Amino acid sequence: MTNKNKLTTEPTIYVTYIATTAEKCWAALTQSEFSKQYFFGQIVEGDWRAGGKIRYRMPDGSEHIEGEILNFDPPRHLRFTWRIVSMAGLKHLPDAIVSYRIEDAGEGVIRLTMLEEHPTPIDERLLGGGRSGWPAILSGLKSLLETGAVPKIAPPTPPQEMLDYMKEHGA
Amino acid sequence: MSAFVYVTYIYTTPQKVWDAITKPEFARKYWLHYNVSDWKKGSRWEHQKGDDSGEVMIDGTVLESDPPRKLVTTWTRPDKSKEPSRVTYDIAEYSPGLVCLTVTHDALENDPAMAASVSGGWPKVLSNLKSFLETGKSENIWLTKNKG
Repeated sequence: MTNKNKLTTEPTIYVTYIATTAEKCWAALTQSEFSKQYFFGQIVEGDWRAGGKIRYRMPDGSEHIEGEILNFDPPRHLRFTWRIVSMAGLKHLPDAIVSYRIEDAGEGVIRLTMLEEHPTPIDERLLGGGRSGWPAILSGLKSLLETGAVPKIAPPTPPQEMLDYMKEHGA
Repeated sequence: MSAFVYVTYIYTTPQKVWDAITKPEFARKYWLHYNVSDWKKGSRWEHQKGDDSGEVMIDGTVLESDPPRKLVTTWTRPDKSKEPSRVTYDIAEYSPGLVCLTVTHDALENDPAMAASVSGGWPKVLSNLKSFLETGKSENIWLTKNKG
């Protein structure tokens, strides 16, 4: 249950087990030739050092997300600030923090944990965006690494309450 | 935590997801245990140990059954030491050849230990289910069963 104008710092977490190596998973998270295939066509770019920049561009090249890399420990841990720069109704939001953690979970299997944190509170209605988007993105990543191919997953329609929020904030 | 929700997208059909959840011959290939029932509303279901001993790990009642789209069951400790929780499987065709499976395990308020257990367990089971249906393989992931 979510309420209009109720603020939250609740994180979103998604865990998936993938039959691959930590190095291959790291490459898929940080190289655009892979991100284009599973991240709704988006292009990931980074300076790939702590303190460096990270960006996700839309398929047309326009900037969508930008942030600063907080933790850079290949092939185990990548943590960065997440600022939406492209979407009216969302680009005023405080930075979120996104991290990917890769752990060994058995022979030839890794556990990938995506954590989306909100150190500055946000409207609770916005949580549905990540909660619908990340499973689609990370399901595609798992398929790509396990089968070598990933048929397109269209971005899920954001929850109505999130669209309402965006409209109230200038979208 | 009163509810755990996990969403996964699988390149398969709703019927294959339904069969993988409800038929022991499939479930034993990716789930440590398997589920036995006639899957009619009101029927009993059992989550039986995968070693064919017939040992019941979890049991409950089928609350709703709409193959291959929706299944709702109670989820009860066999010793009935806690109030039952509830599991809902929503199997939606997201686009041609792609299923969006949402598993919601709720009514966990009275059993925090079960809440902790299932929030660690579902990502493993459902990752395995996806691998099984997309690649036919999941045996490697079995090795994770004793890890946190």
